[in-house]
Amino acid sequence: MKLNFKLNGEHVNINVDNSKRLLDILREDYFLTGTKEGCGVGECGACTVIMNGNAVHSCIILPPQINGAEIETVEYLEQNGELSELQEAFIKHGAIQCGFCTPGMLMSATALLRKNPEPNDDEIKEALEGNLCRCTGYIPIIDSIKSL
Amino acid sequence: MGNVVGKKVPRIDGYEKVTGKAVYSDDIKIHGMLYAAQRYTDYPSAIIKKIDTSKASAIPGVKRIILQDDIPGQITVGHVREDQKILVKDQAFYSGDVIAVVAAETLEIANKAADSIEIEYEELEGIFNVHDALKDDARLIHPEYKSNVVLHYPLRKGNVEKGFEDSDQVLEREYNTGFHEHAYIETESAIAIPDPSCRGIKLHGSFQCPFTTRKFVAKCLDIKLNQVNVNGTLIGGSFGGKDDTVSAMAARVSLLAKLTDRPVKLTLSRENSIKESYKRHPYCIKHKIGFNKNGKIQALKINILADSGAYSSMSFFVTWRSVVQAAGPYEIPNVHTDVRSIYTNNTYTAAFRGFGSPQIIYAQESLMDEIADICNITPYEIRKLNGFKQNSITASGQVLDKHTVSLNQVIDEAVKKSDYFKKVKNYKIKNSSSNRYKYGIGMASSYRGCCLGAEGVDATSAIVSVQLDGSVYLQAGLNENGQGLRTTFGQIAAEVLGAKFEDIHFLEPQTAQINDGGPTVASRSTLMGGNATLMAAQEIKERIFNIIKTDLEVSTIDELDWKDGFIYASNGKSMPFKGAAFRAYQAGVNLSAYGWYKAPEVSWDEETGQGNAYFTYVYGCQIIDLRIDTHTGKIEVEKVTAAHDVGKTINRLGAEGQIYGGVAQGLGYGIWEHYNIQNGELKSENLDEYLIPTIKDINKIEPIIIENPDADGPLGAKSLGEPTLELGAAAVNNAVSNALGKRFYEIPLTLEKIFLDKQLVKPSRASEAGLSSSGKKQSPRLSNITYTVPNNLNEALKLLNDKKYTIFAGGTDVAIELRKATHKTDLLYVGNLKEITSIESNQNEIIIGAAAKYKDIINNDKIKNFLPALVEACSTIGAKQTRNMGTIGGNIANAAPCGDSIPPLIAYNAELELASAKGTRRFKIEDFITGSYRTHREYEELITKIIIPKPSKRYKYGYIQLGRRGAVNITRISSLALVSFDKNDKIEECILAHGALFSKPGRFYYLESLLIGQKLTEKLINSIDEKLSEIIEQEIGGRWSSEYKKPAFINICKDTLKALMK
Repeated sequence: MKLNFKLNGEHVNINVDNSKRLLDILREDYFLTGTKEGCGVGECGACTVIMNGNAVHSCIILPPQINGAEIETVEYLEQNGELSELQEAFIKHGAIQCGFCTPGMLMSATALLRKNPEPNDDEIKEALEGNLCRCTGYIPIIDSIKSL
Repeated sequence: MGNVVGKKVPRIDGYEKVTGKAVYSDDIKIHGMLYAAQRYTDYPSAIIKKIDTSKASAIPGVKRIILQDDIPGQITVGHVREDQKILVKDQAFYSGDVIAVVAAETLEIANKAADSIEIEYEELEGIFNVHDALKDDARLIHPEYKSNVVLHYPLRKGNVEKGFEDSDQVLEREYNTGFHEHAYIETESAIAIPDPSCRGIKLHGSFQCPFTTRKFVAKCLDIKLNQVNVNGTLIGGSFGGKDDTVSAMAARVSLLAKLTDRPVKLTLSRENSIKESYKRHPYCIKHKIGFNKNGKIQALKINILADSGAYSSMSFFVTWRSVVQAAGPYEIPNVHTDVRSIYTNNTYTAAFRGFGSPQIIYAQESLMDEIADICNITPYEIRKLNGFKQNSITASGQVLDKHTVSLNQVIDEAVKKSDYFKKVKNYKIKNSSSNRYKYGIGMASSYRGCCLGAEGVDATSAIVSVQLDGSVYLQAGLNENGQGLRTTFGQIAAEVLGAKFEDIHFLEPQTAQINDGGPTVASRSTLMGGNATLMAAQEIKERIFNIIKTDLEVSTIDELDWKDGFIYASNGKSMPFKGAAFRAYQAGVNLSAYGWYKAPEVSWDEETGQGNAYFTYVYGCQIIDLRIDTHTGKIEVEKVTAAHDVGKTINRLGAEGQIYGGVAQGLGYGIWEHYNIQNGELKSENLDEYLIPTIKDINKIEPIIIENPDADGPLGAKSLGEPTLELGAAAVNNAVSNALGKRFYEIPLTLEKIFLDKQLVKPSRASEAGLSSSGKKQSPRLSNITYTVPNNLNEALKLLNDKKYTIFAGGTDVAIELRKATHKTDLLYVGNLKEITSIESNQNEIIIGAAAKYKDIINNDKIKNFLPALVEACSTIGAKQTRNMGTIGGNIANAAPCGDSIPPLIAYNAELELASAKGTRRFKIEDFITGSYRTHREYEELITKIIIPKPSKRYKYGYIQLGRRGAVNITRISSLALVSFDKNDKIEECILAHGALFSKPGRFYYLESLLIGQKLTEKLINSIDEKLSEIIEQEIGGRWSSEYKKPAFINICKDTLKALMK
């Protein structure tokens, strides 16, 4: 299927195999391997990217849904060699251990912070409820977001 | 000291991990790489009669299929007993056994070929619990070992029978624990690359123990260890779980790489990861305990049966820790313990963070609280009375005199910080006046032997290499699994050398470059690897000192302070570290050193279970407060206070992180994580059914880090990783008992366990196992799909008229369901049709386009105002990401009994419009859904809009959606009450809707009619009990789930009404 969309600020065109999900297109066709697969069923959130301003599970986004969309991945957060404040906060507060859920967490949190720059605990939990982390017990992740 | 050690130091690998640049196994793509897919057995227990790969081999792009006969070396692997076949041939022993592996040009070809391998079986009646396996006439699972008992570890101290005689009271109890899945977010992955330089193999992969992987590969290929080079690739979580399974995978892809002379990658789908990988052992623990009236324990007899599953794997080590520690941190004069590990046809069991301790701590600590109750003393007092003190003697006869025995200290700190006694009192008062919610607080304490102990050789390696500019390379024989050892070791090297922490670079270790440092297990990294790093750094420091001592005019190394990149002499002179490194380099000094640390001597007598099992121990205490909704059995953990003696903190950030993460896993183990395996067949296949804690399940965790430096630890440091997990289930169980005044003897404490005191699972028959897996995709994935994207509604309807399509908009159901589909599917995408995505309102109605997303419904002011129950119900659907894509039309069309938008739509009397090329039809939503996943929609029809009359009355509503955990739930049951009152406060209109209760959501019309015209009082609400019970009984009485759903629904239905009382 032929697709036209905006990826990390650039317009792109591509012809993809029908069985590819957005996750596969990012990882295989654009080498954006920061977006991870954890479950394949929209449960763990490791594959979270921002689509048209909203956090979505890229493992269950199918090609027709991508056409005309604006997609942002974790690789887009660092701009001109500078980490975003959120990325810095994740490092500082120990929000990372194995790091596999981290890209998805960052994208869900980024989507939240754009709409709500000063979220409270409940709002953070609501935004990150679809991102499973098995290492950190979530607390340092909440601390990172609240520190901003 | 104190340059970098003891501080909150950000991770060495933080940058790569927050930018997505960190490279994990599945991120690696190599020129010419083939993709592998595995063919699993269809039966957990069967004789394999025939394996036919002819159809699979004929698929273009298939390069090679391996079977057991292709293995040139050893077919079996194992840590002690080599009973696990890398590929099975004649017999399958559990549902995760692999029969064949395909390597192909693309992943899809490999998967298709794996699906096409034809296998004939003769089913063998499986043995699925340890008790059956021990029956006299039980079939031997591995006849070559002459018994289903894998091992027996005894421990004998004193005379237990005499101890019982001398006791005032003797109590017998049985505890049972479930399987526990690691659920690391990265699934297992292995890549093998042919290495012509040594006619061997290089590997990348999620290998927790690269040296074990190397052994498995070398044995399977019949090559030498120096022909296998395993790279310590970054791992996306491990927790003990990425050892045997991924090492066996490594052996399979290595063989494929060797046979094809191409790199080969194998990454497991989540379903296959859960199916194939080993779990924590379920334990059946019988305790007989004798104690005096004052609570002093005299004798303890423990009998443990551990389910080893199909293979022995790590059972020899896991259960050894259990036999050492089973009596808990208590000085008991007479102990008699027997631990046996038993073969079954279940998933095999092995290492998982905690390693044989969470089970026994759960049992022992639950028992301690029960005895305290009997003796009328507090849980605190019984632990103080019996707990280890300095120089206490353990069950194995070890005198605890070589380290600080800090059990009392950790308990006291946890009690103080949790406000334990005040809460016990307050909760008692609170519980006496609250019927629905019960509050409880519970504690658990433990001691834990550090490192491997007498279970095996305990030594490890590190290399520190200082460059001429003062920068430093660091390597270790242990692996970074996410726990942070790169940072910890880097801090130790920086601390010793006085080098700047940012100048330390940790090299990804290769088994070819550093000596076997043993497995990365047993919370041994900081202690063992830290010591090796410290020794290497110390050696270089001394070499540098010998060169610079004249420059700085000092005679002993103690006159120098090495810190922050400088070396300061007590005489006021100083020198930058990089200058010193350069001086030493110019003087021809070897600036590279090998650290090798061997643990102090330990001992063990196999016959008596006596000896100095570990060279040092750590102590921990966790206190949990929680709230239980007795109407549903749901537990909410409010706070965990976790006090742990770590010896000395190297990285405070890392240490706190270990506590937060370990506590969360411990709670999961105790409450939510139910590995549902029935007759050997796995039912909880993915993370939607195997429920690990979400961010909404974790509230406050207060870490308390206690330091009693250990003589044998690097800078005094000991262990922390595992102690943090091992206490949670026990403390939860005690808190639940405290809340309910009733004891439980089995984990996990699921809704049904709390509510009915039993696990409730859908029954399955043995014969279902094979049938349900035949014809299944070996690895669920999207395949064989076409897309059609109409530009407008008319075009869509025309297309639907001409051909049978599967319609999708948000895709949140369809994209998941299709992973399992084996047939070709033509998808019609309607998510972008403007005619069906908008939300409009007129004077009388709100009209929601069928392709409107949940997020748009939740955020719509008109809907918030007029249909608040719909907003609330839609807010509970899936996760935030699901609500950002999923559509209301999809929810209705899917017609799942648990579709959350449906009960409020029914309650608000919503209708929908179906359109086709022939015209439109309108249905009340209630009538539209005809049953479970069935509706009146014909294939040529599309749901276009949902029309909801604006309520004419001011309704009050109550809504309860019950899920098993805090978020991202498949709704267990839901109840909605919509009520309006007249001016006399009498019920004018009443709507009671239900979800996930029957085969389709609906209303209780008859009940509603009973309430109308009456005042909403508690008495009235309670009066519906009997009628509601009858209705539910009639509808689902015979079903397995009704035992829970009926009473729980009656409760929540009444609660929704009670919420509306004035």
